[in-house]
Amino acid sequence: MRRVAVTGIGVVCPLGHNASEVFEAARAGRSAIRKLDILGAHRLVAPLAATVSFDAAEHFEPPRQRLLDRVSHFAVVAANRAFADAACALTPAERVRAGVFVGTGMGGSQSMDDGYQTLYGEDSNRIKPMLILQGMHNAPAAWIGIEHGLLGPNLTYSTACSSSSVAIGEAWLRVAHGMLDVAIAGGAEAPLSLGSLKAWEAMHTLARQDADDPATSCKPFSKNRSGMVLGEGAALVVLEPWERALARGAAIHGELIGYGLSTDTGHITRPGVDGQAAAIIAALTSAGIRAGEVDAINAHGTGTLANDSVETAAIKRVFGMRASRIPISATKAVHGHLLGATGALEFVLSLLALKNDVALPTMHLQTPDPECDLDYVPNAARAGAAGRTMLSNSFAFGGTNAVLALREARV
Amino acid sequence: MTTTERIRAILVKNYKLNAEHLTSDARLEALGIDSLGMAELMFSIEDEFGVTLPTEPRPIATFSDVVNLIDELIATKSSRAPLAHNIIAAAPSLAGAPVAAHLMP
Repeated sequence: MRRVAVTGIGVVCPLGHNASEVFEAARAGRSAIRKLDILGAHRLVAPLAATVSFDAAEHFEPPRQRLLDRVSHFAVVAANRAFADAACALTPAERVRAGVFVGTGMGGSQSMDDGYQTLYGEDSNRIKPMLILQGMHNAPAAWIGIEHGLLGPNLTYSTACSSSSVAIGEAWLRVAHGMLDVAIAGGAEAPLSLGSLKAWEAMHTLARQDADDPATSCKPFSKNRSGMVLGEGAALVVLEPWERALARGAAIHGELIGYGLSTDTGHITRPGVDGQAAAIIAALTSAGIRAGEVDAINAHGTGTLANDSVETAAIKRVFGMRASRIPISATKAVHGHLLGATGALEFVLSLLALKNDVALPTMHLQTPDPECDLDYVPNAARAGAAGRTMLSNSFAFGGTNAVLALREARV
Repeated sequence: MTTTERIRAILVKNYKLNAEHLTSDARLEALGIDSLGMAELMFSIEDEFGVTLPTEPRPIATFSDVVNLIDELIATKSSRAPLAHNIIAAAPSLAGAPVAAHLMP
């Protein structure tokens, strides 16, 4: 097994467009959730979302821009930023041993929504010729591969809300086992079409709008939590063997040390304590560390009634008496739930939390819940509390639980 | 406007091409319009001229090939019903637009 370094971070997300912007917003607890302004927003019970400020025309020539759905726009720009940050130009031989690993839950759903509007809404057969290419789930990964000429595996993972943690974990496995020398891994999601929002709403998973301040509508681990708020964006990281990173003098953001997977088979949506605990234990085992070495956790923390109490119980199951002394951050309160991209964004935030030794706050936690009685770093960041080793949890509809273990950069 | 001018306007607008490069013998591929670009271009042209492209593959390589095809379609438009064609019906051809299918590698 080779040690794996994270040497590049690229983000296009509600909190900002580079690592320091995103970290500062999360540290300060500045929520990017606001009233959603799309056509038909009045048809939503709670028209809320965490949107990205993004003009594709600044990044793409018109024919290329039209060929890509918003999810691929995000993915390509985030990947470009990650490679720029990693400052690693690949030789032709290195490109053969470089792969792309992208998670997305809904792929090009906005383009599909537009196509259905044409077909059913307008009763027209004038479906645009690029719809398949815009809508297919593997388009974001494919465009990253094309843009950077990466000739190794190009894989897309769709395990709902854990998609991008799975993508990063699967990339880590290949780099750690010597199958690849460079991987770009993460996730992208652009789910803010009316069709997708209505579908999420119909499942009764979305938060009510906070009457006083819409920005505070997502309240993970709070007694008065009412659901999640959808967000959009992409987060990609460059992974490479530790020795390679050292040899080329790369700036190392942190080390990915383990990855655990488990599956809940009890129900398609209901999370299970056993499965979540099993994924955490699998991550510890994979990293070769004891539970006692985990200093902080970035929780899945969606703000739904079901997740937050079950996740609390799973953390207690694994960490026992020590659970209440582990700072647990639920950053979705400020960046929303980016579905297939959320695990990657939270992995990035965890890296930055370790790098800056700051436990990020769980915002909008005003009403304690007896079933959520751990230390969630409520409402204010805590300096000096992230320690050296963290876990980033991602749990999903469909039952695929993925946990990443990471460590601050040290030789 | 003539057919040539109207198609030229589409190319200039959608592909940011220089009108001076759009001579009649200009090759579309050299202008950066590949098989996918052709499918998209033909979609815009159908809208612009209110015509429906034939389902039979037909070689389209140059700017004048496009102009000639459209002129033919316009000429025959009133004399016969359009061939059964829409993008959905053509979907099994994968390329979407049959003209593009001919250009696929």
